[in-house]
Amino acid sequence: MALRGLVKRFDTKVAVAGLDLDVPAGSFYGLLGPNGAGKTTTLSMAVGLLRPDAGQAIVLGHDVWVNPVPAKRVIGVLPDGVRLFERLSGAELLAYHGLLRGMDPATVDQRARELLDVLELSSAGRTLVVDYSAGMKKKIGLACALLHGPRLLVLDEPFEAVDPVSAALIRDILRRYVTGGGTVVFSSHVMEVVERLCSHVAIMAQGAIRATGTLDAVRGGRSLEDVFLRVVGGRVATGTELTWL
Amino acid sequence: MSPSVFVRLKLRMTVNGFRGRPGRVVMVVFGGVFGAWFAFTAFIAFAIPGILNDARVASMVLPLGGGVAVLGWLLLPLVLFGVDESLDPARFALLPLSRSTLIRGMLAAALAGVPAVGTLAATLGMVFTVARLGGIGAGLVELAGVVLGLLLCVAASRAVTSAFAGGLRSRRGRDAATVLFGAVAALLGPIQILALSGVQRTDGRQVAGVARAVEWTPFGAPYAIGTDMVLGRAWGVPIKLAIVLAAIAGLLWWWSRTLERAMFDSSSGRVSQVKQGGEPVAQLVLPVLPRSRFGALTSREARYWWRESRRRASLITFSVVGIFVPIMLSATGGSGPGVLPFVGALAAVGLANQFGFDGSAYAANVVSGVPGRAEIHSRVAGYSLYAVPVLALAGVAIGLVAGGGPGAIPSLLGSLVAAYGVGLAVVLPISIVGAYAMPDSANPFATSSGAGPAKALIGMAALAGAAVGTAPVVLLSHLAHSVWLFAGLPIGVIYGIGAYLVGSRIAGRILDRRMPELLAAVTPGR
Repeated sequence: MALRGLVKRFDTKVAVAGLDLDVPAGSFYGLLGPNGAGKTTTLSMAVGLLRPDAGQAIVLGHDVWVNPVPAKRVIGVLPDGVRLFERLSGAELLAYHGLLRGMDPATVDQRARELLDVLELSSAGRTLVVDYSAGMKKKIGLACALLHGPRLLVLDEPFEAVDPVSAALIRDILRRYVTGGGTVVFSSHVMEVVERLCSHVAIMAQGAIRATGTLDAVRGGRSLEDVFLRVVGGRVATGTELTWL
Repeated sequence: MSPSVFVRLKLRMTVNGFRGRPGRVVMVVFGGVFGAWFAFTAFIAFAIPGILNDARVASMVLPLGGGVAVLGWLLLPLVLFGVDESLDPARFALLPLSRSTLIRGMLAAALAGVPAVGTLAATLGMVFTVARLGGIGAGLVELAGVVLGLLLCVAASRAVTSAFAGGLRSRRGRDAATVLFGAVAALLGPIQILALSGVQRTDGRQVAGVARAVEWTPFGAPYAIGTDMVLGRAWGVPIKLAIVLAAIAGLLWWWSRTLERAMFDSSSGRVSQVKQGGEPVAQLVLPVLPRSRFGALTSREARYWWRESRRRASLITFSVVGIFVPIMLSATGGSGPGVLPFVGALAAVGLANQFGFDGSAYAANVVSGVPGRAEIHSRVAGYSLYAVPVLALAGVAIGLVAGGGPGAIPSLLGSLVAAYGVGLAVVLPISIVGAYAMPDSANPFATSSGAGPAKALIGMAALAGAAVGTAPVVLLSHLAHSVWLFAGLPIGVIYGIGAYLVGSRIAGRILDRRMPELLAAVTPGR
């Protein structure tokens, strides 16, 4: 995936200011940044959810905004928050996504069953997704993104509000996916997860990339948190205020 | 805490809602202009008895006009406008507020809006009439009545929508709601008789009789106290005031009960289960549909129309209005068949904000790159699974009730299909260009601040467009009545399908260009 000069303004506020990013095929790419850095905006523009004011998003040679159909065919997306049709059961939702992607019904059935079993969602049975817990919603969202066998997975905060067991399971699935030749891009602001998983990282702040490269190159011998705090800046300790606490 | 805090909060939220959304400002300006025009017309109507200096006419017009206003406040939010829920009661759950403070604040906030100001302005015409007929003293009494009447209107509308919303969450409540709607719609029948007989009989004795009855109900009581003064029946004033105050108190008590439930019990509390088993695809796709993208989209739509309370509410409303109103009209001597084009178009208006119902979930379709035409066709198909049987039922029922006899049914169905098709042709492009976000609220009638006029305007634009579009069919059915009896069905069906194909083609092209913009428009909280 290659992003070239992406710009997005909301009213007068510039959310993303001329962002360039190269994600090598087969990499496990972590996009780090504080809240409001423009991570979600960037990923939304990269997958065709939000039209950029300027710039290009190219996925495996297809420009997402010029030639969306072949580009969208090879991408799997877990959008920010939970943007799913929640009033379907888990199985119904997977079937919906599969058929929407033009898959053969028999393949949809087989893969959906497997995903539900592996992600331990089969026991939820016929419960509607709207009644799932936050972690279960992330898992079914991930299953929807994986179902059609995409070459590129774009995940927005996949580990937010997920319990440790589910997080470990998701990590394992993603590692296997990358080992199998897939590419993962995900956003997070949890350093530990990124340090454990990623081959490459990019640190974003105020709508621009501040540091990028392989994990070791960005870290340069220090902990990722140190680098992050230095790059992003901002206050990390209280002073003389808040004495009433 | 004073209620003015709530009013300021609501106004501030409304103003902030305009920021960076010129379309919404335009909508609200339109709504304001429409409201002002409506208020002005009603003011004149209520002032006419005063101008004519006729106390007898005043004693009929005031309670009946006031009754219509109260009834409008009860019904219109359910059918057309929705309720402005910018002040969501659940947001106040953590604050140390007493129930009475909250109710007073919410009531004050509800009064700060175009509908309330418009109603007050309109009913001031009654004050003019009474003051002209009975002097300043009587006028002041009527002014008090008008203000109380406004409080009654707002309290009634909030209490009923709030209770109705709570009721729709349970299955039993849904059935009750259907019955309630039927009863309310059935009330339109007697009103129709009144209006008709009032027009037909110049002596207006019947109207006067009804007016005398209405003025002793909460509907007419607040507006009749001024004429009591004029007619020298001052003894009636305290009784009617007591009726109104009791009604307001009762409604506020009812509202505070449902409000509390809305605050602390916003989840349905019960985990919804789906019935069927089997393989995932078989679970999703309805048995009659192909196991393909079209089948998946259509099945998802069909399930959503039933599983989501907002959609279900609009479906139930349409079903009841669509079937009862024409039957009542026919049964009471009005032109039942004449309103069929209206019913067909109203069915289409159900799709006016179809993408708004989805909210941010629509992202799934954008990411998958669903072509515009497929999206539109499947959505219409999913909705038609419900709408077409209702329309067919309406056509058959009217054919049986109205004078034409069973032989007229095919031609009536033809008119319905034509109107539905034309309505869709008008509504589908609007549903993309005019889509707006709905709040994440448990209240199926809630609209975000400032979206009320948008909702009403889009609905009315669609109805007007459909009326223009069906005019040729309606004309033909009147001019060539005998031919229409047997040719009506094929002509209507061809006309409707043709219109739909044109409209869906346009809508599909717009959608192909505007998918991300549409998604942004329907995503709440932006």
